[in-house]
Amino acid sequence: MKQIFDAIVVGAGPAGCACSFTMAKAGLKTLLVERGKFPGAKNMWGGVFYGPTLNQLFPSFWQEAPVERYIKRHRLSLLTKDASLSAEFTAKKFGKVPYNGFSLFRAKFDRWFAAKAEQAGAILASGLQADDLLWDGNRVAGIKAGGDELPSSAVIACDGVNSFLSEKAGLRDKLSPRDMKQGVKEVIHLPRNLIELRFNLSGEEGIAWEFIGSFTRGIPGGAFIYTNKESLSIGVVVQLSTLAENKIEANDLLEEFKQHSEVATYLAGGKLLEYSAHLIPVAGSAMMPALYTDGFLVAGDAAAFTLTTGLTLEGANFAIASGLAAAETVIRSKQIGDFSQKSLSYYPELLKKSFVLKDLKTFKKAPHFLENPRIYSLYPEIACDLAEKIFTNDGKPRRKIWKLLRKSMERKISFWQVFRDLKKIKKAL
Amino acid sequence: MDIIVCVKQIPDPEIPPSKFKLDIESKKVVPPEGIPPVMNPYDEQAVELALRLKDKYGGKITVLTLGSEATSSIAKHALAMGADEGIVITNKAFEDSDSFSKAYILSQAIKKVGDYDLVLCGRQAADWDEGLVGSIIAENLGLPLVTLAEAVDVANGKLKVKRVILDGYQVFTVPIPAVVTVSNEVGRPRLPSGWGIISASQKQIPVWSVDDIEADSSKTGASAARRKLVKLFIPERERKCEIIERETTAEASIELVDTLIKAGAI
Ligand SMILES: Cc1cc2nc3c(=O)[nH]c(=O)nc-3n(C[C@H](O)[C@H](O)[C@H](O)COP(=O)(O)OP(=O)(O)OC[C@H]3O[C@@H](n4cnc5c(N)ncnc54)[C@H](O)[C@@H]3O)c2cc1C
Repeated sequence: MKQIFDAIVVGAGPAGCACSFTMAKAGLKTLLVERGKFPGAKNMWGGVFYGPTLNQLFPSFWQEAPVERYIKRHRLSLLTKDASLSAEFTAKKFGKVPYNGFSLFRAKFDRWFAAKAEQAGAILASGLQADDLLWDGNRVAGIKAGGDELPSSAVIACDGVNSFLSEKAGLRDKLSPRDMKQGVKEVIHLPRNLIELRFNLSGEEGIAWEFIGSFTRGIPGGAFIYTNKESLSIGVVVQLSTLAENKIEANDLLEEFKQHSEVATYLAGGKLLEYSAHLIPVAGSAMMPALYTDGFLVAGDAAAFTLTTGLTLEGANFAIASGLAAAETVIRSKQIGDFSQKSLSYYPELLKKSFVLKDLKTFKKAPHFLENPRIYSLYPEIACDLAEKIFTNDGKPRRKIWKLLRKSMERKISFWQVFRDLKKIKKAL
Repeated sequence: MDIIVCVKQIPDPEIPPSKFKLDIESKKVVPPEGIPPVMNPYDEQAVELALRLKDKYGGKITVLTLGSEATSSIAKHALAMGADEGIVITNKAFEDSDSFSKAYILSQAIKKVGDYDLVLCGRQAADWDEGLVGSIIAENLGLPLVTLAEAVDVANGKLKVKRVILDGYQVFTVPIPAVVTVSNEVGRPRLPSGWGIISASQKQIPVWSVDDIEADSSKTGASAARRKLVKLFIPERERKCEIIERETTAEASIELVDTLIKAGAI
């Protein structure tokens, strides 16, 4: 049974599945290795998936892929201890084909996606962990897994945020907590009709609701609630280094968030189904490893291709797009019979042309900007305080909003500082 | 030595109990969607014992499992560990079959496989813990049976079986072929190797229907079951917390005893 593969893809997340599907379809002898009992077994995320890239690969994928709800509404709330200020956006367009985003569960979605790769001819080896790389001089020549040596012309590391393989390949150092956010999430069961009633949804409509505010105790980050068919995904995503420095546990913040009066009413009567935690690479291009070496490429979270703008967190579509670019590169290498570093330099060129590196470049300054603690406590406080002043009727003569704002900011922050932060927003976002 | 191992699919024991639903109407436990079943851990140990015999004496290991095409992942797991062939036997009525009809179907399949020296089963299935199928197969095939084996060896053309008992062992010899159920004392089943997983993933698993094994349909399915499940339930438990505060500890304890008596707890 021993054989030499054209390509071994490590990790059956969105990056690895897209990559192995494309190579297998082009006739390459492709092995997809996944350490979980099945693809998606241990994978978690928030879960809003933005569809356009996958739609190119599988037109109208939502008809067959296990999606939960399409995202019709986006809501953002600023929370203080006892107040909240929200804005909501909804568009007819979001409720129509090809939709904009979907809530979904990784355990089902990754399995579906990996099965697609298998149908295209890739060999899926679940329950198998890549333990090391196989070397031929300076060239990566395969992997070691399950006590065996598995040789291949190319290895594509799609092994997620902690990418042990790109470390082994010498493409990057161990990650620092400053480069990462910690995500913790609970799935809470609620009957379908209650979800629709509480969130003002009908049929398969869903909402993506993001929060920033006091519950993170000034730690950069936020929280989310996404609706699934019969459950809510609710979680907190916070800067790992600041958590550690302040000796705070992310799940304590999640508990605090869940108990906020504005949030608790939406969860009432719900039953906890599962709890999970995961890291997210967020330092953007600053932490991106070198993307390839002889016989070796990195894609998805392993290459730190995620985008955080503070309002959204996207990674899956970047993972898929980079997986596709890696696949195209290896297909080309196979055609010309050259898997050297020089030949694989085609990969970053493809990425530069796609949204992957373009978006990361556009938002290059965002990760640093988003470390500003004022965004997470002071500004939500001022905004809520101002709103309170505007809406409170205490029988006294009204004052101009501008004056109220000045009052809300008094002794908290200077206009000059706000101006400087605003200027940074312009640069970063 | 040619060995047949019967393995069962069960819901993944790692699924937290809160994710299961109990359907009172149909008297069924509904596992959460999207999480594939796994091989019963005791059966995995039966596969391990078979592999140890194969390592020592050579031969062929065939794995039988009841289910649907989707169950082929269970058979493939055994192949990845080192078994030679896996067969899935399907029948819509399995779900409602009792242990007699499952054992009957497996016995028919074993007859169809033909040549074998030993049939192994796990001591019980970790979902309902009944532990009946192995014994009924032995009865059906008219073969000698040893339950709860920790080790099997060959001596003088017979099988030597070490059986676990409280505080000790029994050692039996039985003529070949025989049926043996395997105890958890066998220890950890081996992890599949890299090439093992890869070659298993590429293998086709034949699917046999009830017709393929010439089973008599009056002996399978819900209608053949003489035992009827009339109720499946989890007793209601109520949790309440009440804090008793009194001036003195003595007063509080008297109040506590009163409260417990009223609640019928003592
Ligand atoms: C809390 C949270 C919320 C998020 N929310 C969103 C969101 O709403 N929208 C969005 O687009 N993105 C979101 N993301 C980001 C998104 O999940 C990731 O960007 C995306 O999953 C990256 O895909 P990937 O294939 O690169 O890696 P992963 O999905 O991490 O997959 C890596 C795979 O490799 C396997 N693996 C790892 N090492 C090995 C090994 N040595 N051998 C074999 N297999 C191995 C793993 O088991 C895993 O299956 C969120 C992330 C988190 C943590």
